Amino acid sequence: MKDPNTRRTTLSAGRPLRLVALTAVAGLTLSACGFGGQGGGGDEGDGTTLDLLVPTYSDQTKALWEDVIAGFEEENPDIDVNLEVQSWDNINDVVRTKVQSDQAPDILNIDAFAGFVEDDLLYSADEVLSPETIADFQESFVENASMDGTQYGLPLIASARTMFYNKDLFTQAGLDPEAPPATWDELKDAAAKISALGGGTYGYGLPLGSEEAQAEAGIWFFGNGGGYGDASEITIDTPENVEAAQFFQSLAAENLTQPDAGATDRTPLIDVFIQGKIGMIVGLPPTIGQIADKNPDLNYGTAPVATKDGSPVTLGVADHLMAFKNEGDKQDAIKAFLDYYYSPEVYVPWVDAEGFIPTTKSGGEELATKETIAPFLELLPNAQFYPSTNPQWSAAQGAIQSLIGQVAQGKEAQAVLTEIQAKADQ
Amino acid sequence: MTTDTTGTQAGATTASAAPPSDHHAAPPGADDRSRRTWRGTLTALPWIGPSLALIALIVLFPAGVMIFNSTRDISQSGVDRGSAGLENYADVLAIDALPRVLLNTVVWVVVVVGLTVVISLALANFLNKQFPGRQLVRLAVIVPWAASVVMTTTVVYYGLQPNYGIFNQFLADIGILEVGDYGFTKNATSAFIVAIVVAVFVSLPFTTYTILAGLQAVPHEVVEAARMDGASRSRTYFSVILPQLKPALSVAALINIINVFNSLPILRIMTGSIPGYDADTTTTLIFKLIQSDRRVDLASALSVVNFAIVILVIVAYMRIVKPMKGVDE
Repeated sequence: MKDPNTRRTTLSAGRPLRLVALTAVAGLTLSACGFGGQGGGGDEGDGTTLDLLVPTYSDQTKALWEDVIAGFEEENPDIDVNLEVQSWDNINDVVRTKVQSDQAPDILNIDAFAGFVEDDLLYSADEVLSPETIADFQESFVENASMDGTQYGLPLIASARTMFYNKDLFTQAGLDPEAPPATWDELKDAAAKISALGGGTYGYGLPLGSEEAQAEAGIWFFGNGGGYGDASEITIDTPENVEAAQFFQSLAAENLTQPDAGATDRTPLIDVFIQGKIGMIVGLPPTIGQIADKNPDLNYGTAPVATKDGSPVTLGVADHLMAFKNEGDKQDAIKAFLDYYYSPEVYVPWVDAEGFIPTTKSGGEELATKETIAPFLELLPNAQFYPSTNPQWSAAQGAIQSLIGQVAQGKEAQAVLTEIQAKADQ
Repeated sequence: MTTDTTGTQAGATTASAAPPSDHHAAPPGADDRSRRTWRGTLTALPWIGPSLALIALIVLFPAGVMIFNSTRDISQSGVDRGSAGLENYADVLAIDALPRVLLNTVVWVVVVVGLTVVISLALANFLNKQFPGRQLVRLAVIVPWAASVVMTTTVVYYGLQPNYGIFNQFLADIGILEVGDYGFTKNATSAFIVAIVVAVFVSLPFTTYTILAGLQAVPHEVVEAARMDGASRSRTYFSVILPQLKPALSVAALINIINVFNSLPILRIMTGSIPGYDADTTTTLIFKLIQSDRRVDLASALSVVNFAIVILVIVAYMRIVKPMKGVDE
């Protein structure tokens, strides 16, 4: 009885082994696919496929890019462009994961590029753009997109900040609606009067939540002669910045802002302004379109951002396109796409539809009279930019986003800025 | 399992069949047993192979990469710049907020699991009773399970939003708040409490049903016997029914501990907008290290630490509670 049993087991053991081998091979093949997918999918014939990764600026971002791509592919039938759209919340994680697994996109739209340059991942501008296209960029943006004299970032859009204020609330609070505050003291005084109206009105909208705290904090820092530093050094823990932080802390502490300023994100707070419940808030070009869209009756005005002594300064932001080298075999295709994109017939309608400021000379001339961007164009000469050519800036920005709000929650300003500086210096 | 039992029986049979004075009978039995077990495993491979491969691919491989990453110096754009030794671990342990974060983690796990088990026990007892409409109530308990955690949390999160959240509006309407702009999810303490409530809510269905299954397995005769012997209702419950529930309870608690400890979405949504680390657990801190600080290497190191903590907690739990042991053993 025992022996036959044993034999059967021995016999059948051969086949399972083969199965195991098969399974193992299948497993390996599957994992190989996971890592080498880049070259495989999407190729048609001998054509090249470009991966384009962009963030969403508005609900129509995806459609706008699809139009650009459709037009490009018509002119260049041998090149396919693969569009991937991510939210601003995710795009940094997505990019990092892709770079880590050698699947970087060929063209990326994001704010900072210095970290990629440091790791030698990017083409310089002259490698992927024709001289005419490069010559069309406005100089200030080129400077902001260059490291050690070489331009790597391709300025895509610009925006500047300006103060929006609610004229009706100014009138109700007994303030002159045609004389918005220019200095911090005037701003605090106006905020106090508007907050005193009660019923859920707030004097100043202070969005120090993680969404874009670096912008709001930056405006205050610049307004006191401080800032974030330059290409070689990040300077956050400075006396000017600490004083500015103490000032906006006092606004929050004296209830002249919306509650929980340290945890309020910008986008929802601008909606509260649009509803007419906030006296003053710093907004950006698309805000004008949003007001026209959501509450056209809002009686508002725009004015330069208030600073400590009233001297004009604002935050300018430029986002960039950048081209990754990857295997180095797509340079011509990238160049074809970028030259097509930056041609005025394609680029200007794109920027116009997104409601931002163009970074090219031809675009600037064409859109100079648009009422949605005119108030911001005036401010550009006084704009200060993030030190986005400093490789440490990304880490500094992340630290500001997650920590600066503590100032408004009552933590000592000096301690918070020291903590952020330490993270930036890591 | 089955093969093993057969092997043991076969060995036992051989041993008992042989005369006690004969030394040679037992060793062949043992030898036979091990050979059979080995062959059994081999025969079973085609069936367990795919799942083993899957485990290797989606559990062991990523875990290996994580451990590897934790010893590397990775740039913020994701490029590996070489070995960092144990420096990342030293950096993790040097994080100023770590004591607070660890304390938060303990509070989070203990309170959520504790409340979940107690409430589930009550619910399960209730659902075990006969009453009209019991099917409907049982169904209602499952509902939170059917909805995605992120969705449930987001709904509550919006409801609690200042200015436009329905809960804030309600508090303003009944006059508790002058204006409905209280930031429930904007302060560390209140946000943490709200997150705990949601975590308990979404953990209830699984736990309740596990305990309910345990309750239904309690033999009716035992309860009847206790009653015949004159035991009071509470005595019957605490001395007869509850001990029989131990396996169900301890397994439910263990699974909840692991789940809650590793839970990211609820805290991420509820406390994500709070600046600083006052409302973070180790799991959400990992997330912030990646997203805000762009430190994949540091986050990997903290993940390894997190993993080690879970293992330690489970081992301690298994040794102290012995969840697999029934009442009779």
